[in-house]
Amino acid sequence: MEKKKTAKSAADKADRIDFEKALKQLEEIAAALEEGDLGLDESIRKFEQGMRLAKFCREKLDEAERKIEILQKAEGGKVAARQVEVDGESGEIANEDDLQGSLL
Amino acid sequence: MNDNPTSTNVYTVSDLTRTIKRTLEGRAEFNNLWVKGEIFNLTLHSSGHIYFSLRDDNAVIAAVFFRYANRNLDFKLKEGMNVLALGSITVYEKRGSYQINVSLLRPEGVGDLQRRIEMLKQTLLKEGVFDPARKRPIPVFPRRLGVATSPTGAAVRDIIKVALRRYPNIEIVIAPAIVQGAEAPVSIARAIEELNRPEYRIDCIIAGRGGGSFEDLMPFNEELVVRAFYNSLVPIISAVGHQVDHPLCDDAADLAAPTPSAAAELAVPLKDDLAGEVDYLHIRATNAMALLLRDFKARIEWVLSRRVFMDPFEIVNRREQELADMTNQMLFTLKDLVSRNRNRLLMISDIRMLMKNILTGKKNSYTLAIKALDQLSPLSVLGRGYAIALNKDENVIRSVSETAAGDVLKLLLSDGSLQCSVNSIYPGGHHGKEKNG
Repeated sequence: MEKKKTAKSAADKADRIDFEKALKQLEEIAAALEEGDLGLDESIRKFEQGMRLAKFCREKLDEAERKIEILQKAEGGKVAARQVEVDGESGEIANEDDLQGSLL
Repeated sequence: MNDNPTSTNVYTVSDLTRTIKRTLEGRAEFNNLWVKGEIFNLTLHSSGHIYFSLRDDNAVIAAVFFRYANRNLDFKLKEGMNVLALGSITVYEKRGSYQINVSLLRPEGVGDLQRRIEMLKQTLLKEGVFDPARKRPIPVFPRRLGVATSPTGAAVRDIIKVALRRYPNIEIVIAPAIVQGAEAPVSIARAIEELNRPEYRIDCIIAGRGGGSFEDLMPFNEELVVRAFYNSLVPIISAVGHQVDHPLCDDAADLAAPTPSAAAELAVPLKDDLAGEVDYLHIRATNAMALLLRDFKARIEWVLSRRVFMDPFEIVNRREQELADMTNQMLFTLKDLVSRNRNRLLMISDIRMLMKNILTGKKNSYTLAIKALDQLSPLSVLGRGYAIALNKDENVIRSVSETAAGDVLKLLLSDGSLQCSVNSIYPGGHHGKEKNG
């Protein structure tokens, strides 16, 4: 169980830095193709990789789903996330009076 | 000392109180004095007068702050607040109590606090807590944003509003914290610590509160809070609204924003900008590739314009001649090889004939030997017309004396046997007379 969790968060971490990494790689590929020093095979290979990276970045941008959570202390002192509704215009949290003011 | 009450040495309560009042109020040092203490039992009366007590660890004094005097009060009085009061001691006869009649009130310890903050700053500076080299970049793209602040203040609303406007599908996790008063430091530190738990997968934290008085912002100068910023493993932005002096947590954070809204602007990218960046790089790569392909095409065309491609049959003709030569050579070699081996092949067939003859000879001798052996067998004698007589016990009968008339005999012929009865016996030669009985 513990192991699984560690593996999951590690994978997730790798996943998170990927957008920036992919964007950086895409930029490097664009620059390398602009240089024009690569052979035809290498250029085509890089170009295809670049197209995959662009697709990956677009997917990443749409991946998160709008969600606002607030951490609340449950019985036994365990902290759990509770999803709340917010007004996008005012940023106001619905039923904010029901919320605990701290995790103490 | 007079132990006995008399008409002249007994005070009435009023007289005594009046005497005390005169004594206290008449002393120069009890007029317009400064006193410092903590406010408690604060009552804001509907009349506009303010009643409270000032205390320290060992003593208490009542205070009254009349409406005409408190009109110019420039900060909000709160229970537990330390203040400096200018006033005079008065005695309230009806209750037999003394109090300070306040004419001016200031928050106390502003100077002390600032000294304390400065000292803490020096200590943490030496420790490297504010080292600019350890500040991490804020991620370009925080998919999950952590917010440590009051869940009901303006700060949280501003952050949510700005974050959602910039990145409509962002995920926000709020860790509620008390942001002013005695519990604030531990509460803020706890919220930051909680957001650092890996299961929340937070990419960036904003911690702070909206603007307020010096005291309001004081928790963000506390060592506990400054260290919580310093210890955050997740990149953290300090977001304490301030005009003049920035709080110490700003120096320990990876990035400091002047307000919560500004922090959200710094933390959350405009989604359209990021998408635009991806599009821009996509177009750059595509254009560069198109250029490269045009280049390669030009090179291929140049190569194709060379002689070998213009007159391709030249090379084919040459190769064809080579092929014909090689074929001839190969055929000649093969013929030579065949003729040289032909004689050897003829010899080989002679040997076979000889072998065949030898084998035929051997076979004939063998047949003859078998025939000779056949002649010697008793069965072949029978073939020439002889018979062998056996008695009933299957023993060979060699003499007529071995049998009697009426016996049953078995005669073996070459191709079978006969069962016969003896009718008569003729001893002596092939044609002897019948022997009598």
